[in-house]
Amino acid sequence: MKSKNKKLLDQMISRRFMFLFLIKGIAIGAISWRLFDLQLIENQKYEKLSDGNQFDYLIIPPERGRILDRKMRLLAGNMDGFSLVLKWNKKINTDIILKNILSVISINEKDIRHFNLQIKKMENNYPKEILITKNLSQKDVSRLAVRRINFPEIFFSISKNRIYPQGNIVSHIIGYTGIFSKTDVENGNVISVPGLDIGKRGLEKYFDSQLRGVFGRKRNEVTSKGYIIDSHIYEDTIPGKDLEVSLDMRLQDFAFQRLKQGNFNLVSVDEKSIKKQLTNKKNNKYLEKKYVYTNKQNKIVDPESGSIIVMDIENGEILCSVSTPSFNPNIFSNGLDLEEWNKLRNNKKSPLLNRSMSGLYPPGSTIKMAVALAGLEAGIIDYKTNHFCSGKKEFGNNDFHCWAKNGHGNVSLMQAIEQSCDVFFYEIGLKIGIDRISEMLKKLGFGQYLNIEINDKAKGVVPNLDWKFKRDGTKWQLGETLNASIGQGFILSTPLQLVTMVSRIVNGKFLVEPSLIIQKTNRKFDKLNINHNHIKFIKQCMEQVVVGEKGTARNYKIGLKNNEMAGKTGTVQVIRISELERETGLLKNKERPWKKRDHALFVGYAPVKKPKYAICVVVEHGGSGSSIAAPIARDVFKILLNI
Amino acid sequence: MNYRKNKFLKESFFNLYVSKLFRLNWLIVFCIFLLCLIGVASLYSAAGGQWNPWAKSHLYRSLIGISVMLFIALLPPNFYNKLSFYCFILGLLSLLFVKFFGHGSVQRWISIGGFNFQPSEPIKLALILVLAKYFNNISKVDLQKNSTFLLPIIFTLLPGIIVVTQPDLGTGVTIILLGIAILFYIGIPLKIVFLSFILVISCVPIIWNQLYEYQKNRILVFLNPESDSLGSGYQIIQSKIAIGSGGLFGKGYLLGSQSRLNYLPEKHTDFVFTLISEEMGFLGSIVLIFIFCFLITLIMRISFIVDTVFAKIVVFGVGFLIFLYVALNIGMVCGLLPVVGAPLPLISHGGTSLFTILIGVGLVLSMNIHNKRI
Repeated sequence: MKSKNKKLLDQMISRRFMFLFLIKGIAIGAISWRLFDLQLIENQKYEKLSDGNQFDYLIIPPERGRILDRKMRLLAGNMDGFSLVLKWNKKINTDIILKNILSVISINEKDIRHFNLQIKKMENNYPKEILITKNLSQKDVSRLAVRRINFPEIFFSISKNRIYPQGNIVSHIIGYTGIFSKTDVENGNVISVPGLDIGKRGLEKYFDSQLRGVFGRKRNEVTSKGYIIDSHIYEDTIPGKDLEVSLDMRLQDFAFQRLKQGNFNLVSVDEKSIKKQLTNKKNNKYLEKKYVYTNKQNKIVDPESGSIIVMDIENGEILCSVSTPSFNPNIFSNGLDLEEWNKLRNNKKSPLLNRSMSGLYPPGSTIKMAVALAGLEAGIIDYKTNHFCSGKKEFGNNDFHCWAKNGHGNVSLMQAIEQSCDVFFYEIGLKIGIDRISEMLKKLGFGQYLNIEINDKAKGVVPNLDWKFKRDGTKWQLGETLNASIGQGFILSTPLQLVTMVSRIVNGKFLVEPSLIIQKTNRKFDKLNINHNHIKFIKQCMEQVVVGEKGTARNYKIGLKNNEMAGKTGTVQVIRISELERETGLLKNKERPWKKRDHALFVGYAPVKKPKYAICVVVEHGGSGSSIAAPIARDVFKILLNI
Repeated sequence: MNYRKNKFLKESFFNLYVSKLFRLNWLIVFCIFLLCLIGVASLYSAAGGQWNPWAKSHLYRSLIGISVMLFIALLPPNFYNKLSFYCFILGLLSLLFVKFFGHGSVQRWISIGGFNFQPSEPIKLALILVLAKYFNNISKVDLQKNSTFLLPIIFTLLPGIIVVTQPDLGTGVTIILLGIAILFYIGIPLKIVFLSFILVISCVPIIWNQLYEYQKNRILVFLNPESDSLGSGYQIIQSKIAIGSGGLFGKGYLLGSQSRLNYLPEKHTDFVFTLISEEMGFLGSIVLIFIFCFLITLIMRISFIVDTVFAKIVVFGVGFLIFLYVALNIGMVCGLLPVVGAPLPLISHGGTSLFTILIGVGLVLSMNIHNKRI
């Protein structure tokens, strides 16, 4: 009985046991499946998460590419600089550390302000490396290094500072770099990396991504508490590519100095009469200088402001692009002072303006070739067209004057260009009509953003009927055609457009586009589609300006028979001269206030026999084109052609 | 008692024990030894490749524990049968002692002569023993009566509830589950099982209100760990990351980044399995689970061999206890169960649970050795 009972019990126990065994099996199965799921199916997801835990990636900015001129002279490069970095964590007292550091070296206020801002953001955060300052001199480094024991929290890192060895000579073209702004990040131009410099202006901006290179990454192994226990380069940086610019620094330097000097004299400040003038409060700004410019009355004057552009008529390379006054781009690379910045911005002569590409001037007589070409192409005038110049043209209620008060008499087209007769162009301008003129001007490069590697450039204005109607809602007046045909009135252009015009006329075959980069292969341009004979004739006219007996630039020959330059002068009125003024006698240019003086322009090319270079010289409020702009152009050509 | 009169007393005594050693289930001992070594190796890795602070002490404890286990295996089951009730009373008293005099906000520890231990661990063994003794004396007829099960249920719930209110939800639940499993095993009527099941379900809201804030949090976080990734959910998320990133073959011994860089919480105690998973991968984890299953199966097999009810229940109880530990622990670290605090037997650093398991296995071995049928 007992054994039977026992058997029953055993049976039940084994039944129950099997049931529990099943439960156990299910549990173990569930666990195994879970592990299978976590470790094999979702493995990658968790691996990523684990990596995210384990590693902290820091972005390392690459070394920025250099900018070189056509003869490999350095225009923008990098200099080793020392940065001071703090290993921040929650426990350290930054105020005391900063105070101690400041007792050893001095750090400029801006950096301290920036540093404190960063510290404020760091509340309740994991340890991090914070940049204190980027501008540490060798002296500061050694001073701090000696006291290294007192500052266990800081270390030095080598950073690259941008330098511009050419100073203010090419600053408008090269531009400068600066710390990226919020909008840069929002526009997707850069990723937010502390201490990263990006191009802010000029070529530095246009070629920013090429110059910048590719970011590298540093991988720090971090504990759960945020302490870095290991760090190594994970992805190497790829340094930015060097940029070879078509500029020729020798020419650029000469042109820069020559343009500043104009027709002035360069005098040492040690001279007696100059010293006397320098005591005058008005001349404060010259105090730091060693040399000053003086005019014919031996008075100290500001250097001339304006622009010189030299362009290769075959491939459009810009060999020289000067804009004065200029600024020193090196002041930007180490964090610009607000004071200095405001000084630059509020300067009345706006040194930040790149006059070569963003400066807008009425082109004046320099577009007379274009007007003539428009007439010739339309068949309205021919090489023998004659007009009589009496010194003025009466039109409607107004008199339109020629620059020569007494007139040029009977002039042909060639003579009109040679002597820059305005009345002749009034006459043919009326015949040709504004639409044909503006069409030709646009063909030659006016009124458009030329395809040059600079972001900030001006479009200029080429007026026609539609343009006037759109702007003012009024009809085009014929009198305005008269103004336009001598490059006055509404028409506005940049020196770059002027030099492009000359290049296209002289090239005669292609619509040459300017470029600041060395052209290693032959560029393909669109066809110009202007009658070759007309081009040839206009070129002869431009030669006459220099060679001709009455040419406006006859005094400024290069002096070689076969290597003369050709061109066209232009003198642009900035103010409207009233009838009353004309009758009471014009004030001479030099007697007018600077702002009201004429702009002096010269466009040209050289050498005549085998044209190679086109030039445009603009001297703001410099006087007449023939007296100041033409000699500058001649001197630049002399350097360019090694004469 | 014959051998006492034998003139070759000493010799016989020696022979007796040596022969017992030969009858030991060496496979179980081997498994235990292997698991302890895995524990030492894992703790060595958890300390970043150092013997201190965990691996060394675990090794010593394991060696002492295994010796104790072998010693216990040599003593006859009757001895434990007699001792069981006193053990249970002692266990309950020590539980009450920690409840009222324990130190820390969570009252789990008792210290005797410089050693700290948690009475909530050995009480499991005491429970197994006392239930075994109780059912050993119950006839088959009485087993059909519901009233027979009243006392065992009280035996189970008393320590269980005390431990839950310590508060130690994990251990408390383990105790109650263990008791229920034994009752179920011995043949509690299914009526009562269903009834109590319904009772427990209906009690859930009441129990919920009784829980401490951190216990509630743990359960809530278990339901949605991402809700609090830096607070209570941090442990389980990091633990899942560690396991998941292990992959098939793992990151390699001593190379687990999650543990090395301190992202793993409690990597030397409850979460030690995570470390093994991370460094040894899926294969390592499965091998470990297999060893545990093998051990449990070996123990369970003994429960068929032994002939007394006392021995059956003790062997089953210990086997089930190990299963509970393993299932709760691994289920917890891989996010299947809430984080309740259950160590991985023989591997987690912690003397009390190690000794509890080893003594339990010692009891199993003793039942095996002294079984008449062998």
